[in-house]
Amino acid sequence: MRGRLKLSRSAPEEGRVDVDPTAMNSLIEESQDLHHDAMAVTAPALAEMVETGQEARAHGLVDPDECREVAARRSTMVTSAVFGGGLLAAAGIAGALETLFASPAFAASGADVQILQTASSIEVLAVATYKTALTLPFIGGASANPVVKAFATTTMQQHMQHLDAFNAAITGLGGKTQTNPDPVLAQVVQKAVPTLTSPGPVVALALELEQGAAETYVADVAALSDANAKKVTASIMGVEAQHASVLLAVQALLNANAPQLITLAPGNVANLPAAAGSVGFPDAFFPTDQARPASEGALS
Amino acid sequence: MRHRNRTPDVMAISEHELTVMTNDLEQIHHDVGMPAMNRALAEWTEKSRSSRRGFLIGAGALAGGAVLAACSSGSSSSTSTTKAGSGSGSSTAGKLTGDLAVAALAASLENLAVAAYGDVLTAAGAGKLGTVPPAVATFVTTVKGQHTQHAQAWNSAIVAVGHSAITTPDAALVPTVNKAFAKVTDVTGAAKLALTLEDVAAATYQSAIGAVKATSSVKVAASIQPVEMQHAAVLNFVLGQYPVPNAFSPTSDARPLTDYTG
Repeated sequence: MRGRLKLSRSAPEEGRVDVDPTAMNSLIEESQDLHHDAMAVTAPALAEMVETGQEARAHGLVDPDECREVAARRSTMVTSAVFGGGLLAAAGIAGALETLFASPAFAASGADVQILQTASSIEVLAVATYKTALTLPFIGGASANPVVKAFATTTMQQHMQHLDAFNAAITGLGGKTQTNPDPVLAQVVQKAVPTLTSPGPVVALALELEQGAAETYVADVAALSDANAKKVTASIMGVEAQHASVLLAVQALLNANAPQLITLAPGNVANLPAAAGSVGFPDAFFPTDQARPASEGALS
Repeated sequence: MRHRNRTPDVMAISEHELTVMTNDLEQIHHDVGMPAMNRALAEWTEKSRSSRRGFLIGAGALAGGAVLAACSSGSSSSTSTTKAGSGSGSSTAGKLTGDLAVAALAASLENLAVAAYGDVLTAAGAGKLGTVPPAVATFVTTVKGQHTQHAQAWNSAIVAVGHSAITTPDAALVPTVNKAFAKVTDVTGAAKLALTLEDVAAATYQSAIGAVKATSSVKVAASIQPVEMQHAAVLNFVLGQYPVPNAFSPTSDARPLTDYTG
């Protein structure tokens, strides 16, 4: 996370695990059942947004001053942030601000719509990144760790659902759906692609994206004004944090040259080193220093 | 607490590196996470002091609309290692309302988590949970510390308005937790109970985000909910379950505000 972890040991190429693929599929099916239960919360929020958005458009409730205020708040946050030197940080404050101020979006659409479009743009990029990663033999191919492969596959699907949810929320508020990736982060990913020659760099890149997404959404829930947009975002931020948590654990085990411990096999926890028990949640309070500027992915 | 012997060759190195990593992350937490949180808390406590009436009224009306979803709670009593307090733990007359009532509920949930993880450590130390893997011991100790910090965070605004801190666990949940804990005989059982508590806390704070009025209150809830979700992910992993079971986190386990208001 946050690109600050520098361990001397290089990541192994692949690991042997003893996961039963049938059991893994069963777990994923159970997860999908739970997901349908969870959607019982998100779906009504989205439906309510559609109704409220239609009402807002009918009465011209979008306030340009509000949009500028939100953009300014995020700008202040970005300039005061302590970047950690990771991949997202490499995108730079300058790049983020350039995008922020160059974009005419915040004068053209509601602040909530901008925030949601940026969220969508992050999800678009996440889906594309996992999709690309799954074409690599050590992530989605025969030599891949089954748990890593299942995680990449399931996480990509979850990000697709997040994208649909954010875009539905945008539509509900009368905005245009965002189907393009965050332009600043896309460059970061593009530059990283040639380095993705083993699981370690892929996990590091995914971790940066997940952490950045989670932090952005944590910041968003305080910035959004629409109650339902806030609910939708709140139902996603913790999931991205969980993705980051898993990736932190995987990264630690890869860096410790113990890929065989990346498994959901019963009893595996007994083999994990003590430090593995806390590596997945380094902060008692989730930070927002890597949150993306509100209008970075907004449409003009 | 008994620790299972580990293979010394690879894991000795891994242990060292992971410890370095953990220390590194801990430093980052203090460098980055805490200053941001401290700013949010300062804003929160200042708001509660300067506009006490508005701060208190806000969520009160929302709570009346049952924004926080109810979930079932047990009522049976049992031999308890987790003690329920009499009332809110406040020495000040009267209940908090609005955002501060939500904070009081949240603090009581954190107190419950701290007590429950403390009970797990005690039981493990007494050899009542069988062999406890070192990673689990680290998890319990670390998570207990984070929940202690969460309780302090929620209490900060409560104390700022002159009310006593909420120091007792959610009384509505204590009988259920004690009953469940009495049946725990191993690490798996303890992890299942802990997962329930983490799910409840995360769902409650997610509901609180839509219920509280002040932006600073939203920030506090939003900074803690993902951390509880991360705890849950690790517990799922410990239990051999998929660590991210939902694409959207649910609120069905959220506690009602009546846990505090009665």
